[in-house]
Amino acid sequence: MRFVLRRLGFFVLTLWAALTINFVIPHLLPGSPVISMMARYHGKLHGAALKAVEAELGVDTHASLLSQYAGYLKNSATLNFGTSVQYFPTSVTKMVGPAIPWTLGLVGVTTVLAFVLGTAIGAIAAWRRGGKADSILPPLFVIGTGLPYFWVAIMLIMLFAVINPWFPTAFGSDADITTGWNAEFIGNVIHHAVLPAAAILISSIGTWVLTMRNTMVTTLAEDYIRMARAKGLSSRRIMIDYAARNSILPNLTGFAMSMGFVVSGAVLVEYVFAYPGIGYMLVQAVENEDFPVMQFLFLLITVAVLLAVLVADIVTALLDPRTRSAR
Amino acid sequence: MKNRLRTLGVITAVACSLVVTACGGSTTKSGRGRTLTISNENGGLWTCGFNPFNTSTNLLSTGNVYEPLVFVNTLQNQKVTPWLASSYAWRNNNKTITFTIRDGVKWNDGQPMTAADVLFTFNLVHKFPALDINSIWSVIDTVSQQASNIVVNFKTAAVPYFYYIGDQLPIVPEHIWSSIKDPATFADEHPVATGAYMVNPCTPQNITYTANPHYWQPGLPKVAKVLYPAFTSNDPANTYLATGQAQWGSQFIPNIDTFYTKKSKDHHTWSPPTAQVVLFPNEKVAPLNDPVVRQALAYATDRNKASSIGEGGQEPPANQLGVVSPTFDSWIDPAAKAADTYTYDPAKVATLLEGAGYKKGSDGIYASPQGKRLSFSVINKGGYSDWVAAMKVVQDGMKAAGIELKASNLSDDDFNSKLFNGNFDLAYYSEPLAGPSPYYELRAWLYSQGSAPIGKPATSNFERYEVKATDALFDSFAATGDPATQKQIIAQLEQLMLKDVPIIPVTQSVNWFQYNTATFTGWPTPDNQYALPAAFQYPDMGQVLLHLQPK
Repeated sequence: MRFVLRRLGFFVLTLWAALTINFVIPHLLPGSPVISMMARYHGKLHGAALKAVEAELGVDTHASLLSQYAGYLKNSATLNFGTSVQYFPTSVTKMVGPAIPWTLGLVGVTTVLAFVLGTAIGAIAAWRRGGKADSILPPLFVIGTGLPYFWVAIMLIMLFAVINPWFPTAFGSDADITTGWNAEFIGNVIHHAVLPAAAILISSIGTWVLTMRNTMVTTLAEDYIRMARAKGLSSRRIMIDYAARNSILPNLTGFAMSMGFVVSGAVLVEYVFAYPGIGYMLVQAVENEDFPVMQFLFLLITVAVLLAVLVADIVTALLDPRTRSAR
Repeated sequence: MKNRLRTLGVITAVACSLVVTACGGSTTKSGRGRTLTISNENGGLWTCGFNPFNTSTNLLSTGNVYEPLVFVNTLQNQKVTPWLASSYAWRNNNKTITFTIRDGVKWNDGQPMTAADVLFTFNLVHKFPALDINSIWSVIDTVSQQASNIVVNFKTAAVPYFYYIGDQLPIVPEHIWSSIKDPATFADEHPVATGAYMVNPCTPQNITYTANPHYWQPGLPKVAKVLYPAFTSNDPANTYLATGQAQWGSQFIPNIDTFYTKKSKDHHTWSPPTAQVVLFPNEKVAPLNDPVVRQALAYATDRNKASSIGEGGQEPPANQLGVVSPTFDSWIDPAAKAADTYTYDPAKVATLLEGAGYKKGSDGIYASPQGKRLSFSVINKGGYSDWVAAMKVVQDGMKAAGIELKASNLSDDDFNSKLFNGNFDLAYYSEPLAGPSPYYELRAWLYSQGSAPIGKPATSNFERYEVKATDALFDSFAATGDPATQKQIIAQLEQLMLKDVPIIPVTQSVNWFQYNTATFTGWPTPDNQYALPAAFQYPDMGQVLLHLQPK
């Protein structure tokens, strides 16, 4: 219990630090929203009209940095993130909201898949060290990790969407399909997700395979494995309950981290497939000095990562008593 | 909408052109029949707002959904086509204009559109200056309604403002907008308008436009449905075009011959130039305040290579006259054209600089009699890889001619802040189409009203060129409706561009356009330039949609 409380305290402290940095960094960037506004009107808007637009947007604020910071903390606590500067007058939540399910769906599912598949393949490869699976699979997946993501994506589009038009070239669903919880729409979404998901899997699974395999190889040399064999336990039980359970710990922390980063989207997937997620939205917000959107997305990512790490800490403590007794 | 190539795009574009035979495919699976798909990079998802006074959404609703009073064709010497006004007339020495509002026009909710709605629109943008995106009320004195006529009185003669009030002001319904408290923050998700199309429905991923059953032009539009998917980046948009899934494209396609036009006999491209990409010398920085140095810079600028290498030949070189060619060729004075000797000419640079007492140093760079080297920094948008490439070419050319340029490629906001506030030696920059004649762009760059002291943001005269005689030329242009007098004034400005070199136009930006004739005909072509062809060009895209028909 004390352990969990300590973790929670640490969580709150990190959250505050992250929030503060999230506030400070955008304000250190060169340029200002006023300048962006002027650029948007291409010199055709001047004088009173320009002032009026600035007032509408609230970018003419002369409030001190400290009072802006207080307002920002208050807004973060009440989940009020204001309107986007770039897509004025759309509110930040209305803009980002529709993109979140797409990102969670695509990147979340593929991250879980990559972790499960990668860990399983790594465990099997280590268990049959030197066997066929071990000499073929890990190197293959490592090559996949080494390939530039956009190249994999373009190759997939070329082979399976253009030459053989089995899958769509872009988007999360057909342009004129009606959104809704029906078989047609869900099928359409899955059909559109196959290539982006495959591209993410190909380029991310290798890391899991390699970490799992290498940790497991070390674990297999431990005395307690030999002991288990001597006791005459079944191979299957040794592999899963003894070797894999101990080897999975480093992967688990990594997995928690990547689950946190799921909300940051996959910029390149969204770029190449015009997928409606939030990763590319973040890039655009940074480019256009869209502070409200930027702050909301950074906050989302920070909170997700911190939560994921918290969960990982607790799970690790459950799986591995040493992390508990160490303190 | 973005007609620039982003860095991320280059990587993928290059990768794509490696496998170019495959990246484009041959199938035409959708697009048959009466549904047209637009492929134009938007950079983000749709917000599903269509407020025609909002500069980030007006390109989605002006022309096709909301309509202006008239259509002014940039490509046909400002030819005017009546739209919601059936006719118009200037009087009172070009200080008053009367629009006669068309009879029998209905809003798409079935209510009649009248002159009262037009009057309401004028008053609306007056009451809410944030809506007045072309500052029309800076020149308008009064607007009044006389039966079906709308009379606009200007403070002074304002002929060029005809474009802003006639072509660029979307007319909105009084019965909807009068009850909106703050029209500037109004999203307008279900626009009630007079245009040929209605929004039905819009999602963050796609806008569907369907034909307006109440449309006032009988038999139009012939294309029943238009899809506008939200392309966040260039590559998927280009693939959509190359595979025939989209028929109307409006962005840069690298290596367009192999990637697009050679793929099918139905694939065509025609991107007319509409504005100039300009090198601005800061006139408050010595020795750039010396016309001789600026002339030398102009002779040291290799426009042809900037176009052929920097822009891959897809954006033509500009001329020192400051007039976009061939779009505005009828405005080019033969005498000025003959006097334009500004081609890349290091020998001429040497003559000019040595005549002014400059001497070449041991490093090959000229130095002033006081020993100050001709070395300038040039600010550029780092995200526009084609501009960066063009500037690299210009830099090399200048170096060979004895002038040093140091490129500094900045983020958009850093760049804008330096450009507006005048914190630069040279700046490389362009604006999208300024207007339907060379007057608009030249006025933006050269009229002293657009300038500001260094450290204060200038709206358009970034080089800070402030000459009273030049201002007078622009004022006299605005006061005359006589085409011959107008041309003669532009001719004087062209001579001034040659002599004074206030700015150095390098290349010309174009109205990107790719079109597929397999399923639709009636596209704008070089032989039938009835409107600017890009899908992001408003209200022109409304005209294009009215001309298109399914095969």
